[in-house]
Amino acid sequence: METLYARLKEPFGLTDWVLQKPDLCFVTVAREQLRPLLLHLRDLEGFTHLVLLTAVDWIEEDRFQLTYLLHDRAKARDIGVRLMLPREDASMDSIHELWPTAATYQRELREMFGIDFPGSPRVNEDFILEGWADLPPYRRDFDTLQYAHEAYAERAGRETRDPARHMKEQLYPDGGQDD
Amino acid sequence: MSVRDLLSPFTAWKNLFREPVSIKDPFNRPASERYRGFHKNDSEKCIGCGTCEAICQNGAIDMLPADGVATQPGDSGLRPRIDYGRCCWCALCVDVCMTGSLTMSNEYKWVEADPDKFRFMPGVDKKHWDDYEDGYRRPDGHRLNAPERIDMPELAPAQRIDSFVEMVTGYTVEQAQLEADRCVTCGICVATCPTHMAIPDYIRAIRDGDYERGLKLLYDSNPFSQICGKVCTRRCETTCAASHEGDPIAIRWLKRHITEQVPHERYREIIGAPGPATGRKIAIVGAGPAGMTAAFDLARAGHQVTVYESESHAGGMTRYGIPEYRLPSDTIQREIDLIVSMGVEMHYNTRVGTDISMQQLQQDNDAVILAIGLWMGRSTRIPGSDHANVFKAVDLLRRIRDGEAIEAPKSLVVIGGGNVAMDIARSMARLQKQQHGEIAVTLTALEDKAHFLADPVEIKESIEEQIHILDSRGPQECVIGDQGGLVGLRTWKVLSIFDEQHRFAPSYDENDEQLHKGEWVIEAIGQMSDVSLLGEELTEQLEWNRGRLQVDDDGRTSESWLWAAGDCVKGPDVVTAVATGHKVAASIEAVFAQQEAQT
Amino acid sequence: MTEYSNRSQYPQARADGSLDIDLTSGKYLKLWQGPNHPGITGNMSVELTVCGDEVVEGKTHVGYLHRGFEKLMERRTFIQCFPIVCRICVPEPDFNEYCYAAAVEELAGIEVPEKADWIRTLILEMGRINSYLMYLGGQAGAFGLGVIGQWTTYARDLMLDRFEELTGARIYHMFIMPGGVRDDLPEGFDQRMEETLQEIESTLQDVYDTMFRNAVFKKRAVGLGYVDPAWVDEYGITGPVARGAGVAKDVRRDQPYLVYDRLDFEPVIATESDTYARADVRRRDLLMSVDLIRQILARMPRQGEVMATLPNVLHWKIPRGETYVRGECSRGEYGYYLVTDGSGYPRRVNVRGPSYTHAMTLLEKLIVNVNISNVAGLMVSLHTYPPEIER
Repeated sequence: METLYARLKEPFGLTDWVLQKPDLCFVTVAREQLRPLLLHLRDLEGFTHLVLLTAVDWIEEDRFQLTYLLHDRAKARDIGVRLMLPREDASMDSIHELWPTAATYQRELREMFGIDFPGSPRVNEDFILEGWADLPPYRRDFDTLQYAHEAYAERAGRETRDPARHMKEQLYPDGGQDD
Repeated sequence: MSVRDLLSPFTAWKNLFREPVSIKDPFNRPASERYRGFHKNDSEKCIGCGTCEAICQNGAIDMLPADGVATQPGDSGLRPRIDYGRCCWCALCVDVCMTGSLTMSNEYKWVEADPDKFRFMPGVDKKHWDDYEDGYRRPDGHRLNAPERIDMPELAPAQRIDSFVEMVTGYTVEQAQLEADRCVTCGICVATCPTHMAIPDYIRAIRDGDYERGLKLLYDSNPFSQICGKVCTRRCETTCAASHEGDPIAIRWLKRHITEQVPHERYREIIGAPGPATGRKIAIVGAGPAGMTAAFDLARAGHQVTVYESESHAGGMTRYGIPEYRLPSDTIQREIDLIVSMGVEMHYNTRVGTDISMQQLQQDNDAVILAIGLWMGRSTRIPGSDHANVFKAVDLLRRIRDGEAIEAPKSLVVIGGGNVAMDIARSMARLQKQQHGEIAVTLTALEDKAHFLADPVEIKESIEEQIHILDSRGPQECVIGDQGGLVGLRTWKVLSIFDEQHRFAPSYDENDEQLHKGEWVIEAIGQMSDVSLLGEELTEQLEWNRGRLQVDDDGRTSESWLWAAGDCVKGPDVVTAVATGHKVAASIEAVFAQQEAQT
Repeated sequence: MTEYSNRSQYPQARADGSLDIDLTSGKYLKLWQGPNHPGITGNMSVELTVCGDEVVEGKTHVGYLHRGFEKLMERRTFIQCFPIVCRICVPEPDFNEYCYAAAVEELAGIEVPEKADWIRTLILEMGRINSYLMYLGGQAGAFGLGVIGQWTTYARDLMLDRFEELTGARIYHMFIMPGGVRDDLPEGFDQRMEETLQEIESTLQDVYDTMFRNAVFKKRAVGLGYVDPAWVDEYGITGPVARGAGVAKDVRRDQPYLVYDRLDFEPVIATESDTYARADVRRRDLLMSVDLIRQILARMPRQGEVMATLPNVLHWKIPRGETYVRGECSRGEYGYYLVTDGSGYPRRVNVRGPSYTHAMTLLEKLIVNVNISNVAGLMVSLHTYPPEIER
């Protein structure tokens, strides 16, 4: 893994290398280098299997992380390629020509994170959600609890007490000192 | 495709003659031994801490008052009610239950037409599976909440025995975080703390690494936080939810940790400055924890507070009763300086009754607080107890703390099994070690080991320091030798301490007699107040209750201008003194407010 | 290739490669298979465009069972996620428990006791048997052999009894938790497990005689849904679908996890790469699992802890990091991508189920030119569980 990184670091401008475990490492790559890097990994380094493509919302840093996880079965190792995207109007180049399955991942990312992949087959078709008009729900600023409160009624008769507060009410209600 | 492929499927016909495999009576098939079915809760054992509710990822548990369950120290009186419309049977609530009261039965089939029936309080609302043997319970050793306390680093016995250097060294940040992590933030301890400190909140501040917030929380309820962080009797820890199936959270040490993490010069800014002056005047007699707490509160409210102290330093029993190895003087001084900095006027070496009269105080002030503590040691009054080498523990402790050079005898006997007895035994052991290189201290207590009044930690450390502890020994005589010197203490074996009416009436086995050798005998069997300062007239006017001043719920005496707080009315211990100090301050405030409203 | 290939001259391809399907032409019909249809695998549907009885285009639709697990986990503490992950996949829940626990342990730096690893392996193999039994019933049922499903349900029920006594639950076991497993094997478990395994072997012999050596099944399954080995990487194919195409992909062998490096086995493969071959791979894989369980019970240590010491889980925080943990479930590669940010909650969890690739792009490719009556059989042959697509 280390030698792989040493070889690819310069040509592809890789950064933030983390060797998570002996057979899994993560690197960050710039947008324009992503495609050449994936092609290189797939065709020359044996990383032929696209395990997954997903996103992480680093809302505090105002960016999305795309993770392309590739697997090299012959050498039993994985590389996670990270790509950072500005959060606003997030859009990324499609890789469905490299792996047809990527189209599904990209369609899901479009729907769940609102990240566009122009040119990806059926990328704008509803995937899981139908008629969803709210924020893309996997974004961090979509509040599932609030959504649940708004969309569903609580069962009547639910109430609870905080033990410390209840004991205060029962044992020393004036908030004064103990006897 | 072959003929075989056409014929082979017909082998299925053999099943025609087979017994059906389905269970004939599916309604009476018991689930497995560790099946996770409907909950059971041992309501007697449950303390209503709500940790089950906290861990439930479905929000299926509510904590509610239950019929027949009283709120009392260590038990919130709440019990979990489970909504089976939400429960997913994961049993995290069982795994995390602090007392082990919550378990599951292996009942899985229960039919009701009313869906609200599926919301009930296990153990309170009786169900037919309550007495089922089988069902999930937390397996041995399976714990989700770190049951073991992080040990407090301290000096080894050999390092500490010949000096009065503080023996406990305090948690590191890492240790404190680990210990703070153990707290489940139920808050049951808060009711037990006499001054109701915000315990879960300041422990959370440690977890968050926000020590300034923690310090603010401490001083909101306790101006003796540094001192309590070292010597508090920590009754909170006896009701800690973690104590039921593990070690209680080291609440005292965590409090100490916060006070150690904030630079002392930051304290006053964090705690905040006193309010604008009101022109009201208050006199406080005694600069111990109760008096100084009241002074702190009243000065911060803008009143003019004057404290009269007969000793040369403030701190009361914390300074003159607790040995230096437990509570260093500079800790006390910092605490006092902080309180004084709120604008409190101190008069040291001023004995009320001699240097200034109570009547004078009454005239000059809007209110007076008595916080005179318990400074007179009680005597056993056994034969020989009036010998010159029979001492009171409080007197000796005061002399040691006052810096007086005391020549320790080669051997001595301590009478008493409380914390004061341990303090004097361990202090004298240190002096013996310093002066003679040998320790010969025997401690005799009426109680048996299981009922010792002293903190178990004190007993453990005393034994480490070679104090010879004897339980169930009743003192009979301080034996005086031919030359007139003390030889030792004669004791009988104690059979019982109280009679059937629970009155103090020890009975002895006179055949089991022992003589404990000692050149000194030190009595540590309790203290009382020295109320001579009140003067005859005032003593007459005031109401008394078994030798103690009678005060109402607010700490006010029968004289409307006079309040009393601290060991002389309640306790004795530091945190109770703090609590009563707050109480009288609040009471005085209320009276002032009432007076304002009337004018 | 298959006997159905290129049977229809419709639709014609346009210049850009897309299909020229004019629904008003009268040549085509839209047909929805699912979401409520006995020939569908769980809660999904396939939107078919047919010409005569032949499918010219198929589109997979999911979303009927979306519960938003990945998002829900971001709101739950690390321990609170443990009970919900199993619900992502009903027929084989344990992989979720294992992958989640292993990912958390890796990022939190928790060492799991050895015995717990053995019990985890045991549970995963038991789950694999259950999943395959369910599959066999479904595969046979899709071709009209209803009785097979009854038999395999019986065998599966016996294994559920073993699950019940070991884990305390039949379907959602909630037994593999971060730190280890909840409890040790119950007393007498080995004996009862052996009886169950023998019953399963006997059932499987019946299944073999009536399903695999059955002219009807062969007639319909052989040649159906041919997967070219060259597609394996392209379409992210794993598990029995890849092994049926002669690619010996098996995470248990390729990247041994838990105690698989201490067990003797070889990945089961076939080369015909059709529905029949995949069914046979799964049947033999099932028998291998039976053997693996025997090996585990014979070799596992009987002394020692099954759970590591955890911090107080109520305040459990995990430093910033990311990892991916995979295992070989009955359908292929199952994996959890876990991202932590130093808080007490996962930053992001992504569940990679094999159905995600198999039921979407691969199925849409294979379904073209298939006879309507074989759509169900084809879908089942990919052994997909829709809940893990939409999660």
